[in-house]
Amino acid sequence: MSMMTGKEYRESLRKLKPEIYYMGEKIESVVDHLAFVPHVNAAALTYDMALAPEFEELLSATSHLTGEKVNRYTHIHHSHDDLVKKVKMLRALGQQTGSCFQRCVGHDGLNSVYSVTYEIDQKMGTDYHKRLVSLLKEVQSKDLMISGAMTDVKGDRRLSPSQQKDPDLYVHVVEKREDGIVVSGAKAHITGAVNSHGHLVMPTAAMKAEDADYAVCFYVPVDAPGVIHIFGRQTNDTRKCNCFLDQGNVDYGIVGGEALIVFDKTFVPWEHVFMCGEYEFAYELVERFATAHRQNYGGCKTGLADALIGATYGLAQVQGTDRASHIRDKLVEMVHLTETLYCCSIACSCQGYALPAGSYMADPLLANITKLNVTRHIYEIARLAQDISGGVLATAPSEADWKDPQVGKYVDKYMKGVADVPAETRMRLIRLLEGMTCGTALVESMHGAGSPQAQRIMIERRANFERKKRLAEKLAKIGEQPLLVC
Amino acid sequence: MSEDSRKVKVSLKYCGSCNPYVDLTRIARHLAAVARERGDFQLVPLSEDDVEVVVILCGCPRACGNKEEVRARARQSLVVAGESLDGRAVPEALLSSAVEQELSKYLTAEP
Repeated sequence: MSMMTGKEYRESLRKLKPEIYYMGEKIESVVDHLAFVPHVNAAALTYDMALAPEFEELLSATSHLTGEKVNRYTHIHHSHDDLVKKVKMLRALGQQTGSCFQRCVGHDGLNSVYSVTYEIDQKMGTDYHKRLVSLLKEVQSKDLMISGAMTDVKGDRRLSPSQQKDPDLYVHVVEKREDGIVVSGAKAHITGAVNSHGHLVMPTAAMKAEDADYAVCFYVPVDAPGVIHIFGRQTNDTRKCNCFLDQGNVDYGIVGGEALIVFDKTFVPWEHVFMCGEYEFAYELVERFATAHRQNYGGCKTGLADALIGATYGLAQVQGTDRASHIRDKLVEMVHLTETLYCCSIACSCQGYALPAGSYMADPLLANITKLNVTRHIYEIARLAQDISGGVLATAPSEADWKDPQVGKYVDKYMKGVADVPAETRMRLIRLLEGMTCGTALVESMHGAGSPQAQRIMIERRANFERKKRLAEKLAKIGEQPLLVC
Repeated sequence: MSEDSRKVKVSLKYCGSCNPYVDLTRIARHLAAVARERGDFQLVPLSEDDVEVVVILCGCPRACGNKEEVRARARQSLVVAGESLDGRAVPEALLSSAVEQELSKYLTAEP
């Protein structure tokens, strides 16, 4: 078996028995529970689109390990073309789902761990890379969806992992056995965790020698004993269970679906351990993962923005404001902001480079610029969408009242815009815009792939202010004047 | 036969220097000084025949100058790509001497 369809993906999830809790309930099947269906649908599209002729060029790739055609989400980048295609794939998926499709996190994790394990082995004589390649072959052949679990809960942010009063506030090794390790702790905000086949767990920050037990990287199946998932709430999440029109994005929801993953003395066999105490490589792994993930945001978020701009334009037409010059100007600004983000992601991909393992990564400085711009531009795009939409975005009557035999006729009459378009069209666009701009979705643009300050720290590290100063000194005739080499 | 004709030919090839993370000209000046001191190699344009080593000087890891057609112009190649030499991390302050050492290995190696 190699590439799965969306249907086969759903069936593969049914065979697993992960421990999942949501709203005080233990969930028996994420595939069938209405709270999870939109997230499963979005992930399933990463499977179906890889097999669709119009998208396969972006969503599939040739494995460097086997030469087989594989889903790009299981592929290790081996060229600039691979890096660019990842961004284009994300935009295409964003346009189709209007939501997060979750699978990029594990993809970025696989790529990061692939290159770093190679370098650990080169220096330390370990065999982590061989183990990772073995897992990768399985991931590719079974077309598995892997979550990338990096963010620890962190407790007191002033303290390092080993200084925390509760040692479990960062995931750590509690026991080393002949056959593997035992880990405890928790990872927060893990996208797609409940509908993945397994988790690739990585350290969250640079580590020092005293934090060596926290420098741990491993893979666990989603239903491994001692792995507990607590699914997070989202804005208007109960609408997924008791509404249709009021959901806005009916099939795919508003975000990826994030969970807190608890590791309660979880056993991990050595074959699935990819770092265990090599603390000096933790920062490199974090930076490579962060770079890969921040590269994405001018891809997926621009796909969402395309749908958002379309909804805003459509609503302006329905409300009869689309020809007003200030509305057109604001729509143009939304496009300008969107394409600026896309430029960033394409640029950091084109400026990417090869690593010692032979795989490729995006340019870290430009990837961080990309994500930092997303924390601003997506908010501005959403602000403009709300500006154009009007206050009805926050006051529209419910689907239930629209269907009510007593008052439905009033909702239908007074929610109408231009005469030849039914009120239902306007209400559907309003709900779609509400979901995309009024809650959890925006926070995802702020903190997903790391908060803005994390990007600023990495930008400062790579800014090379001294070189810029030398350029200024040359122009201003200060000090030694280097000549061109002829 | 002139003195220069007995010297090993070494060429420098720049990436284009759009936004270099490191000062590539410092490396070039250092190699020019080393060539004068040692006297066993000379810096020549890459267009010449029988180039033994091409030192590809790229300002960042993107390594735009590291192309097959460039490497094919010489028997051996060295690649500086930002703060790295042949894929090995080297701080900028040590880059010139690291390139000199690597080049020296090539020049003294048995044919």
